[in-house]
Amino acid sequence: MIRFDKVVKKYNEQDQPAVDELDLHIGKGEICMLVGPSGCGKTTTMKMINKLIKATSGKIYIDGKDIEKVDPIKLRLDIGYVIQDTGLFPHMTIAENIATVPHEKGWDRNKIRNRVDELLELMDLDPETFRDKKPKDLSGGQKQRVGVARALAADPPVMLMDEPFGALDPITRGKLQDEFLRIQEKIGKTIVFVTHDIDEALKMGDKIVVMRDGKVVQFGTPTEILSDPADEFVSELIGGNSNLKMMKLMKCRDIMREIPYVDNATTSEEAIKVAKANDVNNLLVTEHGQKLLGYVSMGMLFKNEDKRVEEFVKQIGETVTPKTTLQDVLSNMFALGRKTIFVSGSKGKIDGIVTMDDLLKAVRDDDQNS
Amino acid sequence: MTKIRDSAIRIHDVLLVLLILAIGIGFSYYVVNYPQDKIVERFMSYDKIIMALTQHIKIVVISSLLAIGTSVPLGILLTRPKFKKFSPRVLSIVNIGQTIPSLAIVALFVGILGIGINTAILALWIYSLLPILNNTLVGIIGVDDSIVEAAKGMGMLPKRILFKIEIPLALPVMVAGIRTAVTINIGTAIFAAFVGGGGLGDLIIAGNNVNRWQILVLGATLPALMAILSDIAFGIVERKTTI
Repeated sequence: MIRFDKVVKKYNEQDQPAVDELDLHIGKGEICMLVGPSGCGKTTTMKMINKLIKATSGKIYIDGKDIEKVDPIKLRLDIGYVIQDTGLFPHMTIAENIATVPHEKGWDRNKIRNRVDELLELMDLDPETFRDKKPKDLSGGQKQRVGVARALAADPPVMLMDEPFGALDPITRGKLQDEFLRIQEKIGKTIVFVTHDIDEALKMGDKIVVMRDGKVVQFGTPTEILSDPADEFVSELIGGNSNLKMMKLMKCRDIMREIPYVDNATTSEEAIKVAKANDVNNLLVTEHGQKLLGYVSMGMLFKNEDKRVEEFVKQIGETVTPKTTLQDVLSNMFALGRKTIFVSGSKGKIDGIVTMDDLLKAVRDDDQNS
Repeated sequence: MTKIRDSAIRIHDVLLVLLILAIGIGFSYYVVNYPQDKIVERFMSYDKIIMALTQHIKIVVISSLLAIGTSVPLGILLTRPKFKKFSPRVLSIVNIGQTIPSLAIVALFVGILGIGINTAILALWIYSLLPILNNTLVGIIGVDDSIVEAAKGMGMLPKRILFKIEIPLALPVMVAGIRTAVTINIGTAIFAAFVGGGGLGDLIIAGNNVNRWQILVLGATLPALMAILSDIAFGIVERKTTI
């Protein structure tokens, strides 16, 4: 979708370039995070996409089109733009702010009004309440939501976001990040997102570009960056606790294992055989293959050797969903005092199981890659 | 979150305006109807006061409009990327106009244009360029960069950014400049009388010549009251344009 081809930006002839021979490819529908310390060239890189900054040499293509040949105004109208201080126009109402690009594009009034309301709802802001307010009447988080809504107004395929959540308190920031990811799942924009916060990059990004002194130090998925930092600089940027950070990224569905079912009338002896055959320590018990009764563990089976499983089956208890992060799984395990936890995507159905060993293995595996 | 919007017009402003009008009219009434002697009686009439007053207003309005008409476009031009580098130089040139005493400017133009109302208007025009130009520049340059950049990044045309974003946001500062200029002009317009331009300065000169305090004080009081009135009026405009 967006491609950089040997792009160089020099502000001064003698100076070291702010962006140096940058090659980059950002896929359609991806969130690409540009991360690095101040002065690494990440903002310059982003601003070259909508020609707020002109590249000294090299080419940038959007959807295969060389942007040099596109009129800057036309180009910008089709690229959503969100900046840190929101850049909301203080003398205009929220509705007028959001309507900026549709207005420039010459949409008719009804269409604009409907779009504004739709976006306010998408951003979880009640149109009746917020439409006619001025930016100064809004909290920081609300302003940032309006900033995002304004960028989305004309439904541009590409969005540029320059530290959009940088000025918010950690709680609001986390909430807005989650909200934005949820919205992105629906709208699937190609997003270039500048941040200096590696945790934000790891959380939000499909791809991460780590930059330093105008050069790309590493380009990869969050898991790749975490498990295999290209050099000292990247490791330092990630900081300590890379294993814990990895657990924040990985979901249950990545590591959960399926467990076999047995009927409630099965004897312990048979059940042990099933468990051994499948190399698992737990079995799910159903009533005649229909209703889920609970589970039995290897320990329970050995203790009750002469019984049928229905006599000592245990309730499933708390479950997690396939989308739960490993970090939350671990914290659940601690809270419940258990080494295993069942994964359930929908009520009455168990998708799999995650054990403490699985967690350790998942994190260790990635360690060994490096 | 909701708060009652401050009205731009405040009650004490209204009272002050009424008081000023009362003083102005009352004092004029006193001077005309209770003259100290024959000399004052012969010199003063409502017609004379009104004529001096309208002349004064005419000088102030024309010179101020000229100043707004030149300084605002010039100021805007000097904030455009192409001309931005000239702005310090232009400001310093205009600054020189401001450092010359106002009476000297008036006198200087007599040498060029002779005596009459045009000389007075021209001198006042030159004299009020700076505050308006300065505030136009400061107001527009002072608009938050991130706001302008957001507008630019979203694809607004430079012309639209100027008229929809920069000028509306700079307006309170620009109005403050005009307020200063007009207020100064009302006072300085007294000098018009020295070059035959008329205005309330005529009363001061006459009062001085015949040595009658009522005429002199009336000539000094009316411009002062006018200045306060204009200040209040522009204060309201300034508050109205402030977000």
